[in-house]
Amino acid sequence: MDFPTPTQDWNAMTDEEFRRRAADLFGTHVPRHLCHLNRRPRWAEVKDWYMTMSSHGWLVPGWPVEYGGMGLSPAKFLIYVEELERSGAPRVMDQGLMNLGPVLIARGSEAQRRKYLPRILSGEHLWCQGYSEPNAGSDLASLRTEAHLEGDEFVVNGQKIWTSVAFDATHMFALVRTDKTVKKQAGISFLMIDMNQPGVTVRPIRNIAGHEELCEVFLDNVRTPRDCLVGGLNEGWQVAKALLGFERIWSGSPRQSILALLRLERFAKLSGKMDDAGFVDRLTQIKMDVLDSASAYDRFAQIMRTGGSFGFEVSVLKIWATETCQRVTELMVEAAGEAGTLTGDVDLGGEAIDILYPFLECRAFTIYGGSSQVQRNILAKSVLNLPA
Amino acid sequence: MLRDSAADFVRASTDHKRLRKLRGTSPGYDAALARQMGELGWFGILVPEQYSGLGLGFAAMAVVVQELGKGLLADPMVPIVVLAGQTLRRGGNEALKERQLSGLASGSLAPCVAWQEGLGGLDASAIETRADATGEGVRLVGRKRFVAGAGGATGFLVTAKSARGCGIYWVEKDAPGLKVSFEWRADGTPSGVVELDGVLVPPASVLTAPSAQGLLGLERAIEEAAVMASAEMLGVMEAGLQMTLEYMRNRVQFGKPIGSFQALQHKAVDLYVQQELARAVLGEAVQALDGGASGAESSMIASRCKSRCSDAGTRITREAIQLHGAIGFTDEYDVGLYLKRALVLSGWLGNASAHRRRFAALSAQHAEV
Repeated sequence: MDFPTPTQDWNAMTDEEFRRRAADLFGTHVPRHLCHLNRRPRWAEVKDWYMTMSSHGWLVPGWPVEYGGMGLSPAKFLIYVEELERSGAPRVMDQGLMNLGPVLIARGSEAQRRKYLPRILSGEHLWCQGYSEPNAGSDLASLRTEAHLEGDEFVVNGQKIWTSVAFDATHMFALVRTDKTVKKQAGISFLMIDMNQPGVTVRPIRNIAGHEELCEVFLDNVRTPRDCLVGGLNEGWQVAKALLGFERIWSGSPRQSILALLRLERFAKLSGKMDDAGFVDRLTQIKMDVLDSASAYDRFAQIMRTGGSFGFEVSVLKIWATETCQRVTELMVEAAGEAGTLTGDVDLGGEAIDILYPFLECRAFTIYGGSSQVQRNILAKSVLNLPA
Repeated sequence: MLRDSAADFVRASTDHKRLRKLRGTSPGYDAALARQMGELGWFGILVPEQYSGLGLGFAAMAVVVQELGKGLLADPMVPIVVLAGQTLRRGGNEALKERQLSGLASGSLAPCVAWQEGLGGLDASAIETRADATGEGVRLVGRKRFVAGAGGATGFLVTAKSARGCGIYWVEKDAPGLKVSFEWRADGTPSGVVELDGVLVPPASVLTAPSAQGLLGLERAIEEAAVMASAEMLGVMEAGLQMTLEYMRNRVQFGKPIGSFQALQHKAVDLYVQQELARAVLGEAVQALDGGASGAESSMIASRCKSRCSDAGTRITREAIQLHGAIGFTDEYDVGLYLKRALVLSGWLGNASAHRRRFAALSAQHAEV
């Protein structure tokens, strides 16, 4: 399959010009009815938007140009993400774009890149991530889903969980155990699996906000060709770790706290809470917490923009951004009193606001992508040099 | 480069024994060290070149003050260089500016600002001190409090009001009718009380003539000094946290270093998070001051900076005592010195809640325009 020819050297543009182009493109094409959605949309809803972005060559900012990406520098990448966020665009099936693509580019074979990357761009392959298991959460390396070779195929057995939107995925990339006799990290491999075959069962899990986007995935004698192994046998842990980088700063972005804060301020105006000096003091405090979160994010973004690098200290961002976001939503529920016990849009005299949903939704933020406690463990050990 | 030379200075000069001896004495800092800082040119960092200063910006000032803060050596840098220096710069009396700023830059003069009264607070215009017109000039009558740097001051910039509004007046430290006494701050440094009993100010010593806008320059200088005090606070919290982490690595209880216990590790990480937030907000505030951000914008970031740094500094040094256990409670152990300096810096020029209120008021104004 061929890659589309690049049309433009985006990195040669000034930041302002690129920002304008991004805002124009997103603003023109983003589907209005899906903007600032309170839930993860289904593939059928966002397919057109995905294909529009793809046809403009704007689907993947980070991949190199030769594989159909925009090849953006870190600075332009940030602008892209900021403008996409600002446009309110719905989240698409992005595991292939954000995770598998970069893994194949870094650690895959040329044949794998030629086969899979164009199919991600065309929307033919939709990927989900099979990492967590019922007994392998924070301690991911203890995972037990296993694969063994039979001729030219791996046979996979086990169970994955907390897999986002697995029901819309055509494929899964998974960490599986291929050697039980060695240290746990050393016996893991990275496999790509076609979901459309007997033995794959997907069961959605309803979350506390009432939505079903997380799934359990059961793998029962599921087969995948030997050439679906990425990196070498038992090198899966290293392959997965190569994914860090942009993800690590992005998971600490203040965007969710800022949205929550705007909602809280709108609530405060509508409900007359701005006349309550006690509330205003707490609102000011939390507002400054959110702005400080943005300052901290900008500091790391600045380092990235100027070509610098940073280590595990970036975990500070995720801890503060996600815990601050939670405090914002907690203040809104508390300030709302009785109204804070109602589900769905609550009428506040002319305008309605969903008070509980943000509170419930952001419980997940401090759990996924390395829980707040795991982040603290990492910082204690790797940055503060505290003993084990 | 500036950071290296400041760090070298701190390595060579930090002496907490000397600091303990200076407690309860005036001026509360080592005059010989202050002279060395003068020789290094640090008092002239912000002073424009036309007044024999270096004409550098707040980024340079912040680096020096932060490093000095690590060794508890920053006094009397911020009160003189930033609060008084920046107030002088914005004054209207060129001859007075020339004399005071060039003396300040060389380290030979140590002007301080006497602006607060009563129980303090951030409203510079909330004063009772009067400037009464007489044939030879004005006579100042009133009582100023919380004057930082007063112990070594060569004179004071005094705010006073008259029928035309508030003005700023230069008074030599030995002027007839002027009396300076001290109250003692948490870290043993003096806080000046300046009593003015009809002190005569000739027209040549009026820095800013009284008007409705007479204190604008001072208000801006207070903001700048609040950001630089935050830089000192960052140095104080960094040193306090480093000392604590070192202790956690070495102190053995239950057969293991206490730093291996997860409950203590997570506490330490939370302090580190606060330190990094303080660093980030300070960086943004310094950039705003150097970049000439608009009035409201720089006021808001200054308040956010002082608020975060005050909270982070007091929290880190307080928890540092807890993480040290009983030894941290002793006067002999150094970590307590950092808590006390943090307390002083937190309260000076508005603590966290004062700046939150100010930020809220500014946000409300901002939303209206």
